[in-house]
Amino acid sequence: MANVKYISASRVYAKDTPPAVDALDLDINDGEFMVLVGPSGSGKTTALRMLAGLEPLDGGRVEIGGRDVTFVPPKDRDIAMVFQNYALYPQKTVAENMGFALKMQRVPRADRDRRVREAARLLDLDDQLLDRKPKQLSGGQRQRVAMGRAIVREPQVFLMDEPLSNLDAKLRVQTRSQIAELQRRLGVTTVYVTHDQVEAMTMGNRVAVLTGGHLQQCATPRELYDNPVNQFVAGFIGSPAMNLQAVPLAEGGARLAGGMLPLPAAVRTAALKARLSELVIGIRPEHLHLTNGSPDADGPQQPRATDGSWELSGEVMLVEELGADALLHVRLADGGDPVVARAEGRKPPAPGQRVTFRVSPDDVFAFHPETGARLAG
Amino acid sequence: MSAPALRRGPRRLRELSVRVGWGVIAWVVGIAFFLPVLWMVITAFKPESAAETWPPKFIFTPTLSEFHLVFSGMGPFLTHSVVATVGSTILVLLLAIPAAYALSVYPVKHWRDGLFFFISTKMLPIVAAIGPLYVIALHLHLLDSIWLLIVLYTAMNLPLAIWMIRSFMLEVPSELLEAARLDGAGRIREIGGVILPIISPGLVSTALICVIFAWNELFLALNLTVTNAATMPMFLISSVPQEGLYIAHLSAAATVASVPVIIVGWIAQRSLVRGLSMGAIK
Amino acid sequence: MAVVEGVAAPAPKVRLRPRGVSRREQWQRRLPLLPALIYIIVVTQIPFVVTLWYSFQNYFFDIPGGAHFTGLSNYTTVFTNAAFRASLVRSVVMTASSVIVAMILGMAFALLLDRKFLGRGVVRTLIITPFLVMPAAAALVWAGPMLDPNFGLLNYLLTPFGVHHVAWLSTHALGSVIVVMIWQWTPFMTLIVLAGLQGQPADTLEAAKVDGAGALATFRELTLPHLRPYIELGILLGSIYLVNAFDAVRLMTNGGPGTATTNLPFYLYQQVNYAFDVGGAAAAGVVTVILTIIVATFALRMFARVFQFDEAAG
Repeated sequence: MANVKYISASRVYAKDTPPAVDALDLDINDGEFMVLVGPSGSGKTTALRMLAGLEPLDGGRVEIGGRDVTFVPPKDRDIAMVFQNYALYPQKTVAENMGFALKMQRVPRADRDRRVREAARLLDLDDQLLDRKPKQLSGGQRQRVAMGRAIVREPQVFLMDEPLSNLDAKLRVQTRSQIAELQRRLGVTTVYVTHDQVEAMTMGNRVAVLTGGHLQQCATPRELYDNPVNQFVAGFIGSPAMNLQAVPLAEGGARLAGGMLPLPAAVRTAALKARLSELVIGIRPEHLHLTNGSPDADGPQQPRATDGSWELSGEVMLVEELGADALLHVRLADGGDPVVARAEGRKPPAPGQRVTFRVSPDDVFAFHPETGARLAG
Repeated sequence: MSAPALRRGPRRLRELSVRVGWGVIAWVVGIAFFLPVLWMVITAFKPESAAETWPPKFIFTPTLSEFHLVFSGMGPFLTHSVVATVGSTILVLLLAIPAAYALSVYPVKHWRDGLFFFISTKMLPIVAAIGPLYVIALHLHLLDSIWLLIVLYTAMNLPLAIWMIRSFMLEVPSELLEAARLDGAGRIREIGGVILPIISPGLVSTALICVIFAWNELFLALNLTVTNAATMPMFLISSVPQEGLYIAHLSAAATVASVPVIIVGWIAQRSLVRGLSMGAIK
Repeated sequence: MAVVEGVAAPAPKVRLRPRGVSRREQWQRRLPLLPALIYIIVVTQIPFVVTLWYSFQNYFFDIPGGAHFTGLSNYTTVFTNAAFRASLVRSVVMTASSVIVAMILGMAFALLLDRKFLGRGVVRTLIITPFLVMPAAAALVWAGPMLDPNFGLLNYLLTPFGVHHVAWLSTHALGSVIVVMIWQWTPFMTLIVLAGLQGQPADTLEAAKVDGAGALATFRELTLPHLRPYIELGILLGSIYLVNAFDAVRLMTNGGPGTATTNLPFYLYQQVNYAFDVGGAAAAGVVTVILTIIVATFALRMFARVFQFDEAAG
């Protein structure tokens, strides 16, 4: 067991191009399940491969269990990796695949067999599967063999590179919880790369959000959701995504949908300090609460503040039924792009209907329009 | 309502007849192309007297006498051909596999230049150097030696083999090689245990093409060998006498000389296609 | 609400350049390449260096006393020699015409074989066979049983068309040799183009069908561009082998009648084997090599384009 440390680790693929990973600093605790998440090209896979030793470092270093492994070849880092396409050797049987690394370490045959069998049992792989070739397995079985190959090595760190992306939706959800459960049972430090924020949120003890080769935020799933440090994290985490809109600043608040959105004093101070004339506000779909009682039919409804919270109204353009709840695409009173709101209950409004939402000022995020940084609220 | 249903019948019929039409054309073309080979084999079974007639005879009593004659004199030529072909093909694979690896999996710095240097040697006409080659062989006491043919056939086939094997190696998923590295496999292990098993169909097609070109080679054999290393194409030439009837005998010899490669080629057709398209271009 | 994009990325904290591959690693990578490289240099380049040396020597096999320096006289002979120039032109004609016709036929055959019909495998087998026949055997069989004026099968088959005992190898020597070369190399072209056709993704063809493209439009707009690298590869490899064509010339016409079918390879062969003129042949060989290099430079560029090297450094 070991902790993992990235210390301003960088990787540049070609001269005069922006680094794929730029001075990454990240501490992963012993036994932790750390998820690296980000859009494609964010550097998350490169960061993982740097830890594996498959990608050299062009700056900084990487430590495993306090040992600097920057120049240590992959096989001597005491790690195991699960690849996106599993990378099973097609000519070897399942057992040979799982035992190959042990064979390379000259582990005696009997010992090898025992460990392979143990891993197979752990993963619910039938004994008869052990003599098959990867081609004869289903996608889910192959995935488990790839996991098994990593487990057999009893490494200090597991590295997983989108290991679920080749499974169908249902199996992916199942396997997701199985991997998380297995990791807790084995207690092995795990670094897991995915582009799927749902996977990241459900599996990780902590989640590191990357984009453009930069670490944006590393925190627990709850913290990321409640307290995103910038606009990117706010927009990336959460599904459906947070509603983001640039709005002009005015005395005491921000102008939105023809009305005035009150902003907390701290945000106003920060905006004033930065000499902003506009800022970006963000509201999560579930924080747009439908108010009961249909709004007045005469003319555009003016947003108004009542008992601290604030209301805004618009016309329903589209309803996406999800069963338990529904997503409303609503065009606000002053036009512009529609916002998305989550409407609970079994009878959502119909398209064309006018609706009013109540928003608590505490649920409104504010971001710097250029840097994207959160304006302290 | 019934009109579309009625129309469907004739349309299907028309599609079928178009398909049959193309099939007939393909068969005619195929047979026409095969005709010279067929005629060679037919003539080989004729007695000499029936081979040179006008009009050509299609019905005759087949005889194996020309084959008997061919087999009786063929022994050493066959041995030389087999040794030169097998020997050069093995040597080609031994040299080409590491070279292709160095040009694909973990490529050397100037791998493009390396690749083009190899293929450019194929473009130099060997005929241009035949005189000096003869003199060099003479001085090295390699004239009329099977070793000389093995060495030259290897050089002849090596560039194409490197190109082909390289393209097959590029198809090995890089994930797999990375997994092998993580598992602690060294270079030798990586080639022998991971890459070669995967590209073995490609190696077969490469070997096959090397065999075809080596077996059929005439120019070098004709210029650099006399008796001690003379190969099957040389045997074929020697079966053409200066005078007398020889067409049936020639056909029998040509059939015997060609048949090994033809059979192997027929069996390994798919492999041949793979090899010739060099596996790579997509 | 519009999702506002464009979070400004901070400038890189350190100016970095890729670390690259260590010197030791570079040698480890080079090592497996060396045997083949050294082998090919020794076996293919040394003879050409020796050729260059002999091209300045006066050296006849049949004249005792060995070689001695003659300066540029061998080259003067080559450039003033009409026979050399004629054989050069003939080589170009033979190679170009046989490669082009073989490719056209090969494409037609490949399109035929790409259709479904009864016995497709057998027909493919029949069509590829000429490529497998030993060229020496092909040449001798064509010269004898097929094209002989007195008993050849071709004359017999053409009788209904008013052909009577044509001595093809005397009257149409060059054409006959080219026909045999085409016959041998069409299967090669067919196989390459067929590999291309069968590598064409089915979904794009279906998309074209849905988009309302007819068979001809589909071929012109989709198939032909897709086949282009395969066609170029076929032409390239075909040229490499056919420019060295020797067997058919030697065994069908022996360069004749007169010099009607003497191409460069056969000319050089004659210089060494009949004129015993090693020096003269070497000079002619050097000129040939230089011409080849010029052509090959273009050919190599074509190679680079065909293979594009999208795979990049793995």
